[in-house]
Amino acid sequence: MTGQDHALCSHCLLPIGRRAMQRTVNGEACAFCCYGCCIAYQVKNGKNEEWEAAWLLVRLGVGGFLSMNIMLFSLLLYTDAFSGADAAMLPWIHLLLWLFATPAVIILGGPFLRETWLNGKEGRLTSSALIVLGVGAAYLYSAFAVIERGPNVYFDTASMVLMLFTVGYYLDAVARARAARDLQPLLAAESEWATVVDGNGEFRRPVREVGAGTLVRVRPGERIPVDGVVKEGESHTDEAVITGESRQIAKDVGSQVIAGSLNLDGPLLIESSGAANATRWAQICRSVRDALICRSPSQRLADSIVGVFVPIILMLGVGASVYWAQRLAFDRALLIGLAVLVVACPCAVGLAAPMATSLGIGRLARRGCLVRDPAALEALARMRLIAFDKSGTLTSGETRVVAIDTDGATADVVLAHAAGLERYSEHGLARAVVAAAAARGLEPMVSRDVRVVPGRGIRGNSDGQTVAAGSAILMRELGWPLASGLAERGRLREATGHSVIYVGWGEGVRAVLSLDDTPLPEARATVEALRRRKVLAILLTGDLPVAAQRIAAAVGIESDGIEAGLLPAAKRAALERRRRNYGMVAMVGDGLNDAPVLAGADVGIAVGSATDLAREAAAVVLPPGGLWMLPWVVDVARAVRATILTNLAWAFGYNLIAVGLAMAGVLLPVLAAAVMAGSSIVVVLNSLRLERLPEPVPSAAADSAPPPRSTAVPVNSETLQAG
Amino acid sequence: MSAYLIIFFAGFAGSFHCIGMCGGLACALGRDPEGRGATVLRHLLYNTGRLTTYCFLGGLAGAFGQVICTPQGTTVPLLTGPLDTGQRILAILAGLLMIAMALQFFGLLPHLHRVTAGFGASTLAASLRSLLTAPGHAAPLAFGVFNGFLPCPLVYAFAAQAASTAGALHGFLTMAAFGLGTFPALLLMGGVGRALAPAWRQRGVWLAGSCILLLGLVTVGRGILPLAAHIAHGWSGGYPA
Repeated sequence: MTGQDHALCSHCLLPIGRRAMQRTVNGEACAFCCYGCCIAYQVKNGKNEEWEAAWLLVRLGVGGFLSMNIMLFSLLLYTDAFSGADAAMLPWIHLLLWLFATPAVIILGGPFLRETWLNGKEGRLTSSALIVLGVGAAYLYSAFAVIERGPNVYFDTASMVLMLFTVGYYLDAVARARAARDLQPLLAAESEWATVVDGNGEFRRPVREVGAGTLVRVRPGERIPVDGVVKEGESHTDEAVITGESRQIAKDVGSQVIAGSLNLDGPLLIESSGAANATRWAQICRSVRDALICRSPSQRLADSIVGVFVPIILMLGVGASVYWAQRLAFDRALLIGLAVLVVACPCAVGLAAPMATSLGIGRLARRGCLVRDPAALEALARMRLIAFDKSGTLTSGETRVVAIDTDGATADVVLAHAAGLERYSEHGLARAVVAAAAARGLEPMVSRDVRVVPGRGIRGNSDGQTVAAGSAILMRELGWPLASGLAERGRLREATGHSVIYVGWGEGVRAVLSLDDTPLPEARATVEALRRRKVLAILLTGDLPVAAQRIAAAVGIESDGIEAGLLPAAKRAALERRRRNYGMVAMVGDGLNDAPVLAGADVGIAVGSATDLAREAAAVVLPPGGLWMLPWVVDVARAVRATILTNLAWAFGYNLIAVGLAMAGVLLPVLAAAVMAGSSIVVVLNSLRLERLPEPVPSAAADSAPPPRSTAVPVNSETLQAG
Repeated sequence: MSAYLIIFFAGFAGSFHCIGMCGGLACALGRDPEGRGATVLRHLLYNTGRLTTYCFLGGLAGAFGQVICTPQGTTVPLLTGPLDTGQRILAILAGLLMIAMALQFFGLLPHLHRVTAGFGASTLAASLRSLLTAPGHAAPLAFGVFNGFLPCPLVYAFAAQAASTAGALHGFLTMAAFGLGTFPALLLMGGVGRALAPAWRQRGVWLAGSCILLLGLVTVGRGILPLAAHIAHGWSGGYPA
């Protein structure tokens, strides 16, 4: 394994930072972010025959046995069960406690001491140092008390603090693993195994060794490890990880399958079509892993606080002991200092952000929405202005013939004439015309001598007469008369942002084709949903103002939120201007043409980017056709931010109050340790609430507010003939 | 003393119930290859671990009861003696809990059963499997310690009883009596390694249920009945409020 793999904890998949614990489990090198994860991972994954996992449990069990005995006798001591006639037994009970406590402290305290020592060698103080110091003081004081025949011993404090910390860390780690369970399939692409079939049989191979042309067997319930084509078998797959839509897709021989989709109900034999590490799934996995390792700004702040936390607590603890030693008996003062040391919980502060962020990123990634780093998630939660690019983002990005105005000829005849010429052209508008003819099942007219007139259009011969399609200038150059009604229609169409093509034959202009980009069906609902979330949508486009206005009206963007005719640099400047009023701004684009603007926004969001994710300028990437998920993504980002804030509020509030109480001397050390163990579990449980966020609802987004579809040719061009 | 005997007997009868879960674990602990003596030692260690956990829970519950009931630090003997208000409330709560557990033993309250027995038991038991086969004397002891924490309505019932005693010592003794009561059957299970006839198990469960019901009723009664006497006592004056 490489160093890269070790950046995430083997158990809970949170970033481990500098304080990694290295262990070998089942022959594999593992790294853990804390002692709790180390225990939980070994208990869960250690093979039964394996001595190490059992040994860990044995140590915990024996430690528990000793601590419970100590606690039991101490409880009896505290409740004065040995008063009166039994008082003579006290020294012997103390000695017995010492006998129990010595192995207990060694067994349970060993890992803490080891961690303190390893970190101490590198000049770092961690929270385990607080435990070691506190427990060591309690143990040594009590040992002296036994020798000196003092009245009180605190072996119970020493052993119970260790026990509670161990159990607390363990429970913490078990709860955190629930977050990891969701992330697992998103990180599996690189470590996945594939069943490779060749002439000699079937072999399990790491998926990174699978190249193009390899046959791979995928059983029901397994994840398809490579992109490819089904060679054998029938099944259904679920491609939610890639496309964001969780539904069953039927696959049989010849079907394309994509890596990362789940094979649901039948065995499949797949011929790989490319290297396994070049699939979109592999890219997603790399992106998710990178995002998890990144630290968000709030996390960096929390980490630097944790860095100075331990020395401060150490000083407070010693200070409290010294202060109380002048007023109370020495052992009481020592206990107060001890309570300060063990009640402070830097773990809760350190855990506040990463757990929530991981859950949020994992949650989004399972629906195909990728977040490059946690900072993007925070910005997304805070932004109140979202700028859309037009083409390919709010619109389908494909030009279509939306209307045909004629002076008497039928639309079919016009299209057949136009398509007969335009099929020889590579122009985008030309392709739209050919596509429109094909959609209506028309046979293009046979044309000869076809010639492209640069910047004007195209002309040719058909049935012995000249046919031309192009701009009004072309028609004028040909000297063809243009009926005033038709000319008026054409101007009107142009004024509303359409591209127009005049079509003529037989020495006259016969029709005007209007072409345009159509808004996506879900665009209006998305803008509306964002407005409900108090996010203002604006439109920044390089297109003409009229076209921008028409699209904006169709999707529900207000007219003062439109800036058209912008070059990429101007878009960036426009965004910059808006930022002054709105703070954080987001930009949604298709990721191809808008890279500079996306990079300039606080959050760049690319929809359905076909480019390599690794070179993507956007911080958030939605799956192709995933615009409808944008409001949901904002919801998740806000929930993550709210969770982080409540976590931090709890962690700091808890530490302030708990340390305060401990310094005032009203908190027993054992109680302090129990409270501390509980405090980080509160953070974990609060973060786990993110799992209960609702799923995005595609149908509601599209159906609730049906967008006014532009007039598409196959449907209603007949009605437009009147002009 | 007689109360502890009843508890011991309830533990003994109830342990036939334990054969279902803990008995299976005791069986799985199996024999030591080093001979009969080693096997007995193995099972003694396992049961000692279990007993320690029970005693600890009992002591803790008792101390807990004491903390919330009698700030003055006075403890009362089991089932007799005057009680203050907090203790009476605790006794009623504990008694009701015990009655609920007893009803569950009779097959009533199936919903409760899921709550008491299903709470993470299988996960815990599965993680402990590696301990069963581990060599050495420490493993069975550790296994017993964890075993004691496995969710079990019997343990809950007697922990409630222990809390109602409102004293660490009495709580400890309550759970110790119960734990010792379960000793013979589980020791037997380990040695014989053969399940008892289901009919006998059923009888044991009913018997244990009856014992717990009886103890629960007495505990509730202890909370309610002295109320009248207490008020009368208070009226006659002299009882410190």
